Amino acid sequence: MRVFKVSEFIDFLNEALAAAAPRDEVAVEGEVASFNIAQNQWVRFDLKDETALLNCFLTVWQLRVPIEDGMKIRVRGFPKIYPRYGKLSLVVHHIELVGEGALKKAFEMLKKKLAAEGFFEVSRKRPLPRFPSRIALITSPGAAAYTDFLRILNNRWRGVTVDLLPVAVQGVGAVDQITGAFRWLNEHCAYYDICVLTRGGGSLEDLQAFNSEAVARAIYASKVPVVCGVGHERDETLADYVADVRASTPSNAAELVVPDYREVLRNISSHCLTIASALSRRLMQTEDFLNESVWRLRSFITQKEQLFSKLFLNLRSHFLVFHQKFTQHREAALASKARLSFAAANLLSAVSLRLQKEERLLKSLDPQAVLKRGFSIVFNQEGKVVKNAAQVDKGELIKIKLKEGGLLSEVKEKNQDA
Amino acid sequence: MPKENRKINFGQLFKELEEITAWFEREEVDLEEGLKKFERGLELAKLLKGHLNRVENRVNEIKAKFESEGEKEGEDETENTAFDF
Repeated sequence: MRVFKVSEFIDFLNEALAAAAPRDEVAVEGEVASFNIAQNQWVRFDLKDETALLNCFLTVWQLRVPIEDGMKIRVRGFPKIYPRYGKLSLVVHHIELVGEGALKKAFEMLKKKLAAEGFFEVSRKRPLPRFPSRIALITSPGAAAYTDFLRILNNRWRGVTVDLLPVAVQGVGAVDQITGAFRWLNEHCAYYDICVLTRGGGSLEDLQAFNSEAVARAIYASKVPVVCGVGHERDETLADYVADVRASTPSNAAELVVPDYREVLRNISSHCLTIASALSRRLMQTEDFLNESVWRLRSFITQKEQLFSKLFLNLRSHFLVFHQKFTQHREAALASKARLSFAAANLLSAVSLRLQKEERLLKSLDPQAVLKRGFSIVFNQEGKVVKNAAQVDKGELIKIKLKEGGLLSEVKEKNQDA
Repeated sequence: MPKENRKINFGQLFKELEEITAWFEREEVDLEEGLKKFERGLELAKLLKGHLNRVENRVNEIKAKFESEGEKEGEDETENTAFDF
């Protein structure tokens, strides 16, 4: 029989435990209970089944998956009896979720958490360059996803370079390799236009890495826009939600990152056609414009010509009329002048004759001539001619003018005989 | 390392072609400039088509191990602190 001190015994047992349950050869599955985190550093929970219970311990930074009481998980670690308290604990270094239920729950929890942090915000999604020249491809080279992606890519586009970052897409180490690949990518981000993260379809357990917080954060922190395509249309992982663009399958990812070269060729041809027809239209427009301008100019000049002709003819005809009238009037005037002269001459001789006649008449009325015939003129004392006996009174003196000499007489008698 | 696009920057030239087309679709096309742009457009189309018909895709594998850092640390730290609270 061997006798130990207590501490020696506990060391002995710990050695035996280490030998019995070597690291990475043993895992324990059970339900989580009494889960708690102390001082934001130490994580403790019990793993139990129907009849037994095992205390588990790890630091908060080692906790890679979200767990809750009631979840079924599988842990790896080493058993240890702590000397100070004599209690057995499993020091955990790896936790895996087991079963759909647990995985689904963890998925929902993480989804909520990341959504709250804004991981899925549409506004942070970056647009993809239209014609990428270098693509970083994070996937497993052995998977069908890889060949599918490349086949469609080669079918669609030319001139792109694809750099494969080979990783495991499920199982142990998948999360680390994928996050490692993203770290490498960030270091070389200047070189790449787009990153494609892809894998084929699988069960919820197979897709665990793509639903892990570490991978989600790696995608979120990627300096290169990420296109994520997992499995089939119906498979949706957190990686899909966080990525800048979600592809439904690896083939769809190829469709999203490069254009179809046939379509682009058609596009180029259509551009050429548009340009050519626009130019041709413009040339025709210019030609039409020139023709119209020439026509307008010509018609303008013709118009002016016609107007001038019309005015000239008008002037000419008016002038002829005027000339005619002028000649007429001139002749009339000359005729009038001739008549006038003739009439004037006639008038003159007529007047002359009249004058002679009047002269003779006048001469005949000469008082001397009357006296010559033996008549005499009687004047009163005032010198006025006496024609009426009433004009003088008896005894008045009167003068009598005879052909030769005169008499001064006194009125003796008068009578009114006619 | 700068981005290299095997002799031509496809995206940039394609955008230039689109801009020329957009210019033509605006109303007033100046004849002299239109002829210049027409020639450049055809030249661009030729370059782009030639590129698409000529070059291949290239696939390389990056030889690096993508393991996360710090997976092994921290376990032994828990030795003495596990039950101290």
